[in-house]
Amino acid sequence: MAKLPKPSFSIDPFLLCLIAVVTAASLLPVRGVAAAWVDGLADVAIALLFFLHGAKLSRAAIVQGIGNWRLHGLVFASTYVLFPAVGLALVAGLRGWANPLLLSGLLYLTLLPSTVQSSIAFTAIARGNVAAAVCSASLSNLVGIFLTPLLVALFLQVDTGGAGGGFSWHSVGTIALQLLAPFLAGHFLRPLIGGFIDRNKKILMPVDRGSILLVVYSAFSAAVVNGIWTRVGAGDLLMLLVLSALVLAVVMGVNVLAARAAGLPREDGIVLLFCGSKKSLVSGVPMAGALFAPAHVGLIVLPLMIFHQLQLFLCAVLAGRFQREAIAAEASATLPRTEAGIAAAAAAVGVAIPEACMPGVVANMALLDKHAGNLRG
Amino acid sequence: VRSALDIAADVRAGRISAVQVAEATLAALARDDLVAVTRVLADRARQEAAAVDAVVAAGGDPGPLAGVPYGVKDLFDVAGLPTHAGSALYADALPATVDAEAIRRLRAAGAVLTCTLNMDEFAYGFATINATYGTTRNPHDRDRLAGGSSGGSAAIVAAGVLPFALGSDTNGSIRVPASLTGVYGLKPAHGSLPMAGVFPFADSFDDIGPFARSAADLKLVCEVLGGAAIDGLGLRVAILGGRFRDNADPAALAAMAEIAPDAPVIELPDIARARSAAFIITASEGGSFHRAALARDPMAFDPATRDRFLAGALVPRALYDEAQAFRAAFKARTAGTLEEYDVLLAPATPTTAPQIADPRILIDGALSPARADLGIHTQPISFLGLPALAVPLLRPGKLPLGLQLIGKPGGEGALFAFAGMLEETGVAGVSPPLGVLQGEMV
Repeated sequence: MAKLPKPSFSIDPFLLCLIAVVTAASLLPVRGVAAAWVDGLADVAIALLFFLHGAKLSRAAIVQGIGNWRLHGLVFASTYVLFPAVGLALVAGLRGWANPLLLSGLLYLTLLPSTVQSSIAFTAIARGNVAAAVCSASLSNLVGIFLTPLLVALFLQVDTGGAGGGFSWHSVGTIALQLLAPFLAGHFLRPLIGGFIDRNKKILMPVDRGSILLVVYSAFSAAVVNGIWTRVGAGDLLMLLVLSALVLAVVMGVNVLAARAAGLPREDGIVLLFCGSKKSLVSGVPMAGALFAPAHVGLIVLPLMIFHQLQLFLCAVLAGRFQREAIAAEASATLPRTEAGIAAAAAAVGVAIPEACMPGVVANMALLDKHAGNLRG
Repeated sequence: VRSALDIAADVRAGRISAVQVAEATLAALARDDLVAVTRVLADRARQEAAAVDAVVAAGGDPGPLAGVPYGVKDLFDVAGLPTHAGSALYADALPATVDAEAIRRLRAAGAVLTCTLNMDEFAYGFATINATYGTTRNPHDRDRLAGGSSGGSAAIVAAGVLPFALGSDTNGSIRVPASLTGVYGLKPAHGSLPMAGVFPFADSFDDIGPFARSAADLKLVCEVLGGAAIDGLGLRVAILGGRFRDNADPAALAAMAEIAPDAPVIELPDIARARSAAFIITASEGGSFHRAALARDPMAFDPATRDRFLAGALVPRALYDEAQAFRAAFKARTAGTLEEYDVLLAPATPTTAPQIADPRILIDGALSPARADLGIHTQPISFLGLPALAVPLLRPGKLPLGLQLIGKPGGEGALFAFAGMLEETGVAGVSPPLGVLQGEMV
């Protein structure tokens, strides 16, 4: 199994890179002929990213964890029903009060698939059902390739210069060419390159992240040229932070209640909480590059970037808490194995173990401990 | 050896008297050398039999079990007697003031209680090795265990002394001895038969049920105990695979393949985890129930159960809760699969009866105590609360071996119908043990 990242309680280093790239684009936006080159490069980067997504997606992982339909159904409903509903409600409530492109960005982020890597990592830290998380998050990502653009076409009524304002065959073509084709190519080549990709995740991560940074640089350059910072101020950023927190709070709260109502075991409840409340920056940024007019991509992905950091921070805190609870529960659920431990545990419940019985009790404790080990898989 | 149905028909028709049947039974019980009987209730049996005869003489209906003699495992309350639960700790307990509800219902149906029967102390074991009352012998080979914990009930029915007897089943304590002694036994859906007046072991899984020598007798007794007719058909059959096949006697596997050659083999996930969770819950509930007695005088317990109860009393609450949480999730996860079938086939025991001199069995390639592991195939079914009917494979001249027919709660009718079909086709049935005491039933 791949090594899982540790929980991050501080600013995500990648976010610092993103801030640096946004700052660079603000100070030195690419213009003219160079801009066309960078745009072209960004398009290639998007295709490359989706090619890698496709190659990384393991159908076997999906098939292996597919049995837990109830859980996957709840995660799916959270990602593609609850999130969009919250997004639509917020946008409807704030229309006229905030920058329409930022609101579109907010709605856009609610239509995205769940993250794969961080959902799984946080589930593992929190001692949740990792196999189910792998399946749920992978499934969400796979479906998102098709569903997110469809939802964007259905719900995003923005002035984006042609793309994204209602359903258009142009965006279908863009999606097919830039997202689907490389994704499917990567996925069907997985039997040949999957092993290489799984083995070289460290080498490929800079490609992955570099592509995103390139798209962000291209998008923000176009946005700066169009005067983004004259339209967006610190107040807007603060508003985005508050709205992101609100969206997260509503979605997480509903997921906790849904897990309780559905009687999900703790391990599956954690999967619903983490997989169902995530939105993928890795999918969202390149998809925005493909779906929206270049001048608007910067503003569209800004809410996603803020939401992304907030979700990482909050999930890291929660996963750490769940881990401590699980460790404490396991510690209090540990059977005494030594004679001294057994005598102490017996004294605590008012029983004295006769000397003649101690070897038999120790042997029975060992048997119970074996069964406790079996129970925990 | 006469069936309960035949005896009741003859008594109701006045062809024989209930007193005659009771006297013959009491004489046979007095000759018990299987260590199956703990107390012969001669006076009570004569009184109950006389009352049945009086009803017949007056032209009344004494009930569907008129004059049928039976015994109960030593953990049912019998009015006027202390309930021992197989333990010296309760030898001088206050006598029960009323009969257990199951006994009351049987009496109302005309059955005649004749004895109490041996068991593992407090029902904790699959062996019926009891320090106070002795080890119950298997009527098919007295050097072998009868199984437990309802070993006395199974052995006395297998020996042909009683047409039926009551036992209790927490993790397999009816099905295991039924398999090892070659009789029918039913563990009902959890909580479906009356538990009032039955000494508890582990509330989460405790149930009572009968042993009998035919599917029809077993059904009749269950109908009386449950107070309702049992009907149903078992058309959709599957064989339980995975862990149930890993430690199975080849004869059981061959029989299942013969019974249902086209049935799908289905696997329930995490059976080993389920069995472990059941083991932990049982140990914890049993240990908690006896904690006060363990604190007072642990040495008064049977050495065979004492250390197990002591260890069980120390199971942390958090581990118990974890096992119960797994149980809830396991039930939800398997519900869909189980809903698709009327009858699931599985072995009742991993092996035939082990030797008393060496009470160990082979589990996963290693020798393991029969007392703890004979129920490896029954425990996961109790864990789900499902009804299971143990049927003896008809194999005269060989040591008995049984299968479990497992159904849905309320689906006992399908199990009885299927057991009847197996009986008719000669696959299942009771083979008389050679050279054992037999009831001189008129």
